[in-house]
Amino acid sequence: MAAPAADRRRPLRDFVHLIPMVLVAVGFLAIWEAVVRLQVWYSYLIPGPAQVGTALAELWNRGAIPQSIAATLSRLAVGFLLSLVLGSILALLMVHFRTFGKGIQPYVLGLQTFPSIAWVPLSLVWFGFSEASLLFVTIIGSLFAVTVSVADALRTVPPIYLKAARNMGSDGMDLILRVTVPATLPHLISSAKVGWSFAWRSLVGAEVIFATVGLGFLVEQGSENANIAQVMAVMLVILVLGVVVDRVVFSRSQEWVNRRWGLATTR
Amino acid sequence: MKGATLKLVSLGKTFEGKTGVVEALRDINLTTDEGEFITIVGPSGCGKSTLLSLVAGLEEPTTGWVEMDGTRVEGPGADRVVVFQEAALFPWLDVHGNVQFGLKVAGVPRDEREARVAEFIKMVQLENFAHARIHELSGGMKQRVGLARALVLRPRVLLMDEPFAALDVQIREEMQVVVQELWLRNATTTLFVTHDVREAAVLGDRIVVLSHRPGTVSTILMNDAPRPRTQNDPTVLEQIRRANEILKAEVTWADQHPL
Repeated sequence: MAAPAADRRRPLRDFVHLIPMVLVAVGFLAIWEAVVRLQVWYSYLIPGPAQVGTALAELWNRGAIPQSIAATLSRLAVGFLLSLVLGSILALLMVHFRTFGKGIQPYVLGLQTFPSIAWVPLSLVWFGFSEASLLFVTIIGSLFAVTVSVADALRTVPPIYLKAARNMGSDGMDLILRVTVPATLPHLISSAKVGWSFAWRSLVGAEVIFATVGLGFLVEQGSENANIAQVMAVMLVILVLGVVVDRVVFSRSQEWVNRRWGLATTR
Repeated sequence: MKGATLKLVSLGKTFEGKTGVVEALRDINLTTDEGEFITIVGPSGCGKSTLLSLVAGLEEPTTGWVEMDGTRVEGPGADRVVVFQEAALFPWLDVHGNVQFGLKVAGVPRDEREARVAEFIKMVQLENFAHARIHELSGGMKQRVGLARALVLRPRVLLMDEPFAALDVQIREEMQVVVQELWLRNATTTLFVTHDVREAAVLGDRIVVLSHRPGTVSTILMNDAPRPRTQNDPTVLEQIRRANEILKAEVTWADQHPL
């Protein structure tokens, strides 16, 4: 009944939402172009938007960008999923066994702030210049952030739900899986989002340092060849990918959960 | 299944709060008949809800114990189910999902589960809302789901913790009729806590009046008016008058003896 009307309105409203974002992009491009034209610095150090666009098209046409996106995203998918699984297990244990949780919390918090790039030397010694090495940095760079965030999320479960469920015979892990997880799902999606951004940063960072294929490698290659247009073009791709994943995957699922759970419906 | 006999033996509970030790309940003794409907009424802060938590096994008594059919109660169990004030339904499940929750926990096979869920959803007249989401329901409907979710487990004891306190007066009276019908049909031993004296008088076979903190049994009023009752039945009115008198005395006494 109400749904078709809302659906009809949506494209227009989405467009209105996008106006500020588009304005910022246009303004940025204008300033960029102005800086290039005023020749404040060597033009080969600051290529203009047109040059970057050309570089982007060229990289795309020779397949470098699709190939790199595929390589980076498949590493990310594996690394992020593994860190999500391991981090969630660790968080469940921390919440379930309180003393264990209390004991380990400060270390997990500390490791969360540890810069992921600083794991690279150790990773190289352990796994060499390999896929496993990139995966290790991705996982270790996001694991603790996931753990902290998931543990925090699980602790937001309203006590009344636990009381009601215990009262109906649920207990222990059954209680956590049947009540705590679904009750805190909106928070858990935020945790996944946090984990994703940590994994993304760690992976691209590690790729810049030692990968032979991938977006991070492509940036590094441009820099090696003093092809700043390539550097900027690939940086742009990395930025856009980040925004798209955030918008499409996480914001969408968050909206879906909020609607289903009957939480604040802002739309 | 027939309701259980419930025995509360010198039950007491003290809490250690930030402001020191608070004695919520002291020396509560009460024995119910099988399938009896007991209402518990008292001034706010007299430990009414605590009493239910102790029977439910959600909290440990400081002194005394609770017996069900002669066996001591240890911890929570689906044979003593609580209906909470805010219904405490799970928003990630629909009505059907909420009602079947306890059966799933107990591992009841699918066919039997579906049959029982359907039976109890029908009993609270929510057949048309079986797949509605919780936030789409009114307050009265939520409490009906809460009742179905509890009764579907065929508990021996039903514990109701001010379940209608948040409802409009009209809906509340409607729910009082619903509860009496369900009780007449299921004959579950019921402890029903309320701060509304009229509600206590309409529903209870016996009305237990608790004193001000620490809560002790001040008086027990018998109420054998025929069911279903309303607040305008003469016997009910008489009980309301008497319970009010006792409560007033309790409150006056409490005012003169601050903690």
